[in-house]
Amino acid sequence: MIRTTKREVARRVFSKEFNASKFKVGGEGEKEAVYVLTPLGLRCNRLFIVGVLLEKDEVRPDSDMWRIRISDPTGSFLGFVSKFQPDALDSIADINPPEIVAVTAKAKLLQRDDRVLPLIRPENINISDFETRDYWIIETARATLRRIKAIEKGDDKLAIEKYHPNIEEYRKAVIEALMRLKEEQAILEEERLEEKKERKEEEEKDLGFKLDEEIIDLSDFEI
Amino acid sequence: MDENRFQRMVEDIYEMFKSYGVTKKEIETRLRLLLFEFKVPEEEARRTIINGLRKNYNIPRVDLKPALAKISEIEPNKWVSLKAKVIQLWEPNSPIISQTGLIGDETGITRFVVWAKANKTRLEEGKCYLFEKVVIDEFMGIKSVKVTSASEIREIDEQIEVKEELRELEVVGALVSIQQNSGLLQVCKICGRTVKAGTCMEHGKVETTDVLRIRGVLDDGEKIYDLILDEKVISSLTGMGLKEARKLAEEHLDRGVVLLELKKRLLGKYLKVKGEIRFRMLTVTSAEFYRPKILEEVEKALKEVEA
Ligand SMILES: [Zn+2]
Repeated sequence: MIRTTKREVARRVFSKEFNASKFKVGGEGEKEAVYVLTPLGLRCNRLFIVGVLLEKDEVRPDSDMWRIRISDPTGSFLGFVSKFQPDALDSIADINPPEIVAVTAKAKLLQRDDRVLPLIRPENINISDFETRDYWIIETARATLRRIKAIEKGDDKLAIEKYHPNIEEYRKAVIEALMRLKEEQAILEEERLEEKKERKEEEEKDLGFKLDEEIIDLSDFEI
Repeated sequence: MDENRFQRMVEDIYEMFKSYGVTKKEIETRLRLLLFEFKVPEEEARRTIINGLRKNYNIPRVDLKPALAKISEIEPNKWVSLKAKVIQLWEPNSPIISQTGLIGDETGITRFVVWAKANKTRLEEGKCYLFEKVVIDEFMGIKSVKVTSASEIREIDEQIEVKEELRELEVVGALVSIQQNSGLLQVCKICGRTVKAGTCMEHGKVETTDVLRIRGVLDDGEKIYDLILDEKVISSLTGMGLKEARKLAEEHLDRGVVLLELKKRLLGKYLKVKGEIRFRMLTVTSAEFYRPKILEEVEKALKEVEA
């Protein structure tokens, strides 16, 4: 199978960074794609997001065009699903907020007079799970940190010139997202241990002896 | 330029023109003059001599048989002849393509395309052929060999040892796309193409077999990989093999249900896959849902903040 055009990579970016985007780059030649340029210098045409679908509203009654909002630890993505994305449209009909979803989407900047509105147009939406969401946060945190480092080194001249990004703000958002995840994990782990202990005690009650005593050194016995 | 290389150039040109009564001496004299006295670049000299001989002997361009080339040295916008082995056939995604896939020789591997209009007999995987008068083309930095109606292909009774260029690869990424030509498919028993309504694009009404297959895209945020998952891999991930897929399709009287179900279970999931990569196509041999220890990964990421 031969791809006739290059497929764009689905980038990982938190909504805080994406929503602060104001400029597009690319689209020069006939074949060159258009990219949203984020304050940390990411050039994105497609995104992969795992977050919580918070809102889903039909834009007008019977328009079959849906306005959705998907949150991540730093804010939320605004998106629109219409008949031009048949796969996403099919799926969104069966998904109701709140629900964790994994989304592959096109990144867009909507120009309205003197305002620009960053938004996403999902190509596909699927129900996901907490584990996937957690890993997405880690992956996105790392990608953001790499961009922060590039900006600090002065590597991305265009982004620096256009946005003068406040990198401390973004670093703080990354740390907060990771710390919250860490706390959640610690609580989960405690709950898991607690549950295990309870289960063991229950079993012991049923069996009438302590499970630890089951571990017996056979060499103590004679055949 | 050393004498060996010079002699090979003479030999190559001689091969093309010997049947027209051109002598080696004639070629050698002209080539020496251009290369050593006038210091003309090699490629220019070669082309000048070929064009000159063509004119002198009144030979139409399409009648010339270019000298044998090796895959490692093919260059875009040229036409050449190659001896190569068909390594892999892919399903063509367009009716204007009759066959496509990979061919290789002892120096390397390249993509090839046989145009449907070329009307050639079908190539088979694992067999060796002499490809005469094929055109080298380049798109997005990837070279390919194009077989046109002017080309000639003939099977040869030689074993070509292909230089292995398969790379074992293990990658983690999100499955961001599953293509429409995935799911429970009917393929032609003769050529393996997907068949619509019992009719093969090439062979008309044919006997078919069912296959369960996914063509998709794995994306790690930096790179993409085109994947092929076969029944074994799909079944290990979803528990749905060919048998279960058939049952599901029968229950709903619709094969499309299988694709929907596979999309529902796999799209947007992180997978860790192992396989062989040829160019950008990854033939997956094993796959699992990627479930790292979140706490450890968070700690690692937090360390990166400090670094
Ligand atoms: Zn066929």
